[in-house]
Amino acid sequence: MAAIQFRNVAKRFDNGKVTVIPDLTFDIKDKEFVVLVGPSGCGKSTTLRMIAGLEDISDGELFIDNKKVNDVAPKDRDIAMVFQSYALYPHMSVYKNMAFALKLRKMPKKEIDEKVRWAASILEIEPYLDRKPRALSGGQRQRVALGRAMVRNPKVFLLDEPLSNLDAKLRTEMRSQITMLHKRLQTTFVYVTHDQTEAMTMADRIVVMDKGVIRQFDTPQKLYSEPADMFVAGFIGSPRMNFIECMITKKKDALYAEFADHIMRIPASKSKGLEKYENRSVILGIRPEEISAYSGGLNVQESCVINAKADIAEMTGGQVNIYFELGESRCIACVKTERKISAGDEVKLLFDCNSAHFFDKETTKAIACV
Amino acid sequence: MHKTLKKYFPVFVVPVLAAFLVSFLIPFVMGIYLSFTEFRTVDASEWVGIKNYISIFTQDKTFLNSLWLTVKFTVVSILSINIIAFSIALLLTRKLRGTDFFRTVFFMPNLIGGIVLGHIWSLIINGILGFFGVDITYDPSYGFWGLVVLMNWQMIGYMMIIYIAGLQNIPEHINEAAAIDGASPLRTLFSITIPMVMPSVTICTFLTLTNSFKLFDQNLALNGKSAETSLLALDIYKTFYDHTGLRLAEWHGIGQAKAVIFFLLVAVIAFVQLRATERKEIEQ
Repeated sequence: MAAIQFRNVAKRFDNGKVTVIPDLTFDIKDKEFVVLVGPSGCGKSTTLRMIAGLEDISDGELFIDNKKVNDVAPKDRDIAMVFQSYALYPHMSVYKNMAFALKLRKMPKKEIDEKVRWAASILEIEPYLDRKPRALSGGQRQRVALGRAMVRNPKVFLLDEPLSNLDAKLRTEMRSQITMLHKRLQTTFVYVTHDQTEAMTMADRIVVMDKGVIRQFDTPQKLYSEPADMFVAGFIGSPRMNFIECMITKKKDALYAEFADHIMRIPASKSKGLEKYENRSVILGIRPEEISAYSGGLNVQESCVINAKADIAEMTGGQVNIYFELGESRCIACVKTERKISAGDEVKLLFDCNSAHFFDKETTKAIACV
Repeated sequence: MHKTLKKYFPVFVVPVLAAFLVSFLIPFVMGIYLSFTEFRTVDASEWVGIKNYISIFTQDKTFLNSLWLTVKFTVVSILSINIIAFSIALLLTRKLRGTDFFRTVFFMPNLIGGIVLGHIWSLIINGILGFFGVDITYDPSYGFWGLVVLMNWQMIGYMMIIYIAGLQNIPEHINEAAAIDGASPLRTLFSITIPMVMPSVTICTFLTLTNSFKLFDQNLALNGKSAETSLLALDIYKTFYDHTGLRLAEWHGIGQAKAVIFFLLVAVIAFVQLRATERKEIEQ
């Protein structure tokens, strides 16, 4: 059980020529489940590997359990790591894989046996203890990798894209298993993924990274409802948020967003911070699931009805994903409708300004945060 | 496609099969037959039963000495070549500067022919021993260790390449997992690295074993004159060609019987070694 603190941590490769992480400062609380998420090459795995001690820290300080660990070897950090490729020892049985670290710590045989069987029973891999990793499926191998980490009873669990090699069904199962494991073990978990669904469903807090920089570090709900910038807004949520350039105008006492022959009154709650953008362009962000099918009869004062032509209509079961052009923006709406919509159909869509986000065009930051 | 292949199957197979029969199988069977005869030429042989095999151990004094020397040489070579080659491979897979250059340098001796190598090392060793007023024939142990050095020098580069391939096959994550598990570098070497390069160990042990056991040209060039440092292959050669006169047919028969025993020894030892090391190999 331990907190982790990054203090101005930097990571450079090739004798300092390539900077992957320029300056990282953030805290992970004790027993917290933190997910590092971001596109490939954003530095999330490097950050995790620095916690593990598998990568040197070029600058700054890293603390685990209030102890500076910059120069502490991986084995002395009291951490356990689960790799994307499982990293099981192929010549050892499942039992020996799980017992290896304990054996190195010269733990009595009886205690090793108890710990291995305890972890195996939780992960439901008891029948496979005598098998070699090659005789296991991907999901079973990943559970062995988790078990190998569990028996160590480490202060920190590090998981580097552990579900990436599994199929979609198994990934969903393992996701809930890891979440339950965290609750059961009451240990700090740091999890790396590029899959925002994994991040949103598992994390207490999420670190959204891009080019080695933290864009936002917050709870999944906050990231979704109050994204700090366009990167976070676009990264979190699937399908991604629609971005439409609009002009802010003022009529009487109210602000309006004008875009592609449409005008939408901005509610007072959203007007704060937007006033200084009067007669300037900003980016309006609206999530596909916050666009609904217009069926008439509503008070649309703070909304507007868009007449759109569906370029593509994807039936996904409970809803239809409609792709359409709005001005120069390509948008998508996920709407629940009884009506069968096909490509080429004209549809009326309702934009609700109460769920809209506004971003500064130059800085890309959310306007409420400017 | 399958039908066409079936139809033309003999066209493709017969030339290879004919070459195999003419150059290997027929001489091999004839060789076994000739080991039970006394012969001057292949078609002028006289059946003598197992007399040649008995003569090897009664009449010929060199065979057992050569066999013992070959066994000693093979054991020393297998151990030294594989340990040194593996150690160099470990060093050269550490992403150090200049590793590509050193890989080439270490591999180069393998490109030189055995006879040439034998003469080069004969000059070097005799040059050094000359300071002490002796040469390689002065003591059989000089010849033995000279041969070991030569063999190491020639084979290490080749084995090193095979070990490098094996080491590069170990996923980096495995070593990282071991480091996190708390394994020291030495423990990682013995518990993780070596078991994971067992396929390379099998190949390298097989190659060093068979090459050492069959060593001929280097032996001939380095210290071929000395009867006490003749390995089996050279001893067989000498049995055939170092004798003249009336008993030539008899020596030919004895030489042929030695060659058959030699073949059986190499085959059995290589088979046992392959089975033993293969069992330790792992599938990933």
